[in-house]
Amino acid sequence: MDNNIYAIELENITKTFGSVVANKNINLNVKQGEILALLGENGSGKTTLMNMISGIYKPDSGSVKVNGVPVSINSPEDSKKYGIGMVHQHFKLVDVFSAADNIWMGTEGTGLLLKKDRYERISEISNKFGFDFNPRKIVANMSVSEKQTLEILRVLYYGAKIIILDEPTAVLTVQEIRKLFDVLRRMKAEGHSIIIITHKLNEVMEISDRVTILRKGEYIDTVNTSETNEQKLTDLMVGHKVNLNIARVETTFDRPLLEIRDLSINNDEGSKAIDSVNFYIRGGEILGVAGIAGCGQKELCEAIAGLRKVEGGQIIHKGDNIVGLPPKAIIEKGIAMSFIPEDRLGMGLAPSLSITDNMMLKNYNKGKSILVDRDSARVKAQEIIDKLGVVTPSTETPVRRLSGGNVQKVLVGREIDAGPNVIITAYPVRGLDINSSYAIYDILNDQKKMGVGILFVGEDLDVMLALCDKIMVLCHGKLMGVVHAHKTSKEELGLMMTGAKDISLINGKVAGIAKDSRIEETKEAEVE
Amino acid sequence: MTKSSKEPLIRVVKRQGIKTWQICLLYLGAVILALGIGAVLLLFLKANPFEYYEMMFTLNTVGNKMAYIQYETYIQELVPLLITSLALSLAFKMRFWNIGGEGQFFLGALAGAAVAFMIPTSANVFLTIFLMVVAGSLVGGLIGLSTAALKVKFNTNETLFTLMINYIALYIMRFFGETKADWNIFLRPDSERPKFNQIPDNAKMFTIPIGKFSLELSFILVILLVAVVYFYLKHTKQGYEIAVVGDSINTARYAGMKVNKVICRTMFMSAALIGAAGALRVSSVYALSDTISNDVGWTGIVVAWLAKLNPIGIVIVSALITILQCGSVVASSNFSNVDSHFADLLQGIILFVVLAADFFIRFKIVFRKKNTEKQSKEANV
Repeated sequence: MDNNIYAIELENITKTFGSVVANKNINLNVKQGEILALLGENGSGKTTLMNMISGIYKPDSGSVKVNGVPVSINSPEDSKKYGIGMVHQHFKLVDVFSAADNIWMGTEGTGLLLKKDRYERISEISNKFGFDFNPRKIVANMSVSEKQTLEILRVLYYGAKIIILDEPTAVLTVQEIRKLFDVLRRMKAEGHSIIIITHKLNEVMEISDRVTILRKGEYIDTVNTSETNEQKLTDLMVGHKVNLNIARVETTFDRPLLEIRDLSINNDEGSKAIDSVNFYIRGGEILGVAGIAGCGQKELCEAIAGLRKVEGGQIIHKGDNIVGLPPKAIIEKGIAMSFIPEDRLGMGLAPSLSITDNMMLKNYNKGKSILVDRDSARVKAQEIIDKLGVVTPSTETPVRRLSGGNVQKVLVGREIDAGPNVIITAYPVRGLDINSSYAIYDILNDQKKMGVGILFVGEDLDVMLALCDKIMVLCHGKLMGVVHAHKTSKEELGLMMTGAKDISLINGKVAGIAKDSRIEETKEAEVE
Repeated sequence: MTKSSKEPLIRVVKRQGIKTWQICLLYLGAVILALGIGAVLLLFLKANPFEYYEMMFTLNTVGNKMAYIQYETYIQELVPLLITSLALSLAFKMRFWNIGGEGQFFLGALAGAAVAFMIPTSANVFLTIFLMVVAGSLVGGLIGLSTAALKVKFNTNETLFTLMINYIALYIMRFFGETKADWNIFLRPDSERPKFNQIPDNAKMFTIPIGKFSLELSFILVILLVAVVYFYLKHTKQGYEIAVVGDSINTARYAGMKVNKVICRTMFMSAALIGAAGALRVSSVYALSDTISNDVGWTGIVVAWLAKLNPIGIVIVSALITILQCGSVVASSNFSNVDSHFADLLQGIILFVVLAADFFIRFKIVFRKKNTEKQSKEANV
């Protein structure tokens, strides 16, 4: 094929929503057999642009060419016809159907009957691209990564030559990402053109051939990946130089605030999610929790917050065992938990209620009055909006209308405002752009300076190495060890996360038990 | 650009920043359109739609010396519907699908009637009505509480449970109405055939005379109730809990709310109010019957949703629906060729068109554009 002809070419695309310009004169092109990374902060218009290619929106002006021919994409069917397939961030699958039936559902010209050979035909395609995939599995029983595989298989099955992936790695583990990238490379070798949207610069560097950068809806530049580096890309993306280093604030540690001993917790299915885990957090310390997704992080957070039954062991807060206390009592002890689930709204916020109403979620019950104190909640909402730069029309806007980053700021802001002495935070920067992420890190560091103990459940090892004082590693619910962040490396953490290295018991010393534990003290006191 | 030739003729676009008066106008337009469709049907029935509608909407009170009777009937019909709709909105706000309004109403009515027949006839009228309401709300509330308790304990489906209790309650009512026995206090002792007895005078609704018109005490109570429910949902801690539980149960648990308690308490209140409405209804119409509910348990669901669970909206919608129902009974008595069930038909048409208007409030239809710039301003994220 002629090198000058692009698989898909966008010229001067503009799209406005009301008074908001989401995309302004965007140019983008992808060659056959090329992987293009689309980079930009939250709200820079990446998803809008891709939605126009896949026929969900229509551009106000500008032209789209597929293989050099001008086309008009008015619907997802049109887009499918031109060989464009999109894998959305939020999967569009029927939960009760098998994988094969989900694919078959949208296939044209297959007749009215479910044919028996659909399983084989889908297996064939999945083998071709190196997927390990069971087409008979029901979607409801699939892991996130399997669902994503299914989405990719589906667009491949429909014969897509141009494939768009919207933040595909946000929900995957390190291993799964590697697998995904292998598949992408194989697709590229087969002559597919791939557009991948991501926030993670290391992934951009690893997988893409070229990078197109958008900023605030405007086209900035397209660069060859081989001629750039992470620092340059960050500068292009955010417009000004951002220091990639996260400062680790040095503080003097207090005695252990929260001590976990032999803790065992079951997951929803009744199997062990956390298995005899020991650890402790001191005041003024950030303890990172590293582990492959679904290694008991969620169950651990829920158990500490009193939302999940503890099967065995102790959770000692300032010397008191809090196992079995109701969530309200735990909140009153000053333990704040903020868990950002994959959908960002599942726990911690009431999406249809206003920011004001969400502010009083945890303390609405204070005082004897039967009335809620909405006035002071409104003041607090305004404070958090001002302090953290939440972008919202007013304090009365329902939380679900805010963008992801702003939702998280509201949540974290509220948790910190309550003046906790222990903060449990899981994935606080999930899906956030760089600036918002740093705003959150700063908030956590401020809290640390004030002597708050922080448990930071994270995904990005680089961030954890820079931010945390210590990192504990979980593998299938077991503690693999606790390491000092400045003495360890990504490689070591990786080995521990996969269970290849276990330093939880060295020279008879069990990891995660403090020398100056308050538990022993109480026991001794009892003996005396 | 080649794309304009392929653009579909009609597209649906989300609306943004619609003003309140525009919404009102759309709803008004919807009602007028529905009445227009009704008018066509009336023409087929060889009735003059203008005369019919005039009679319906004025309840035939214009120039009528007996107009006060129409007003009295109107209030009598409005009160149970309004209470039931308000009560249902409490449960719906929590996303608890209480479709058992009928059953709760029947049982409340039975309990109220039982008090009326058992209390000494010398008892004060206020005390009697008060005790009837207490009995009605206790029985209704306990039935509601039981469905809520089963839901939180065994995760049963509240829709099925509340629905089935409707039929149980209906047949309990019929059982009392058709079983002639010494213990059956609800029946007339002097009649050979089983027949519901009229309640004693001291259980009959207290009325305040205003000229010839007598205002039911229950109307004043229901107006107070509207204010209370509005305030309860908007400003109290319990109302806040209902909103959070309805929005996200996980979040409610996380905030330390006792979710099960909130569900049981709210459902008790919802069903208790409906039970109270049943008891008040007995006091107002003086006798039990198996049609005493006048379908408020069902109509209330429609009212609550049309009003978007807003107490003020519920007042407006139930007032209009009651006009429709009372008015068409009046009108059909003057138009021999139009059945009184025309009201149900008209109600159905209005509901359908108003729901369609709802769609147009959230979306707009855009025809193939001639002017690119203009259209670009209409879209929304």
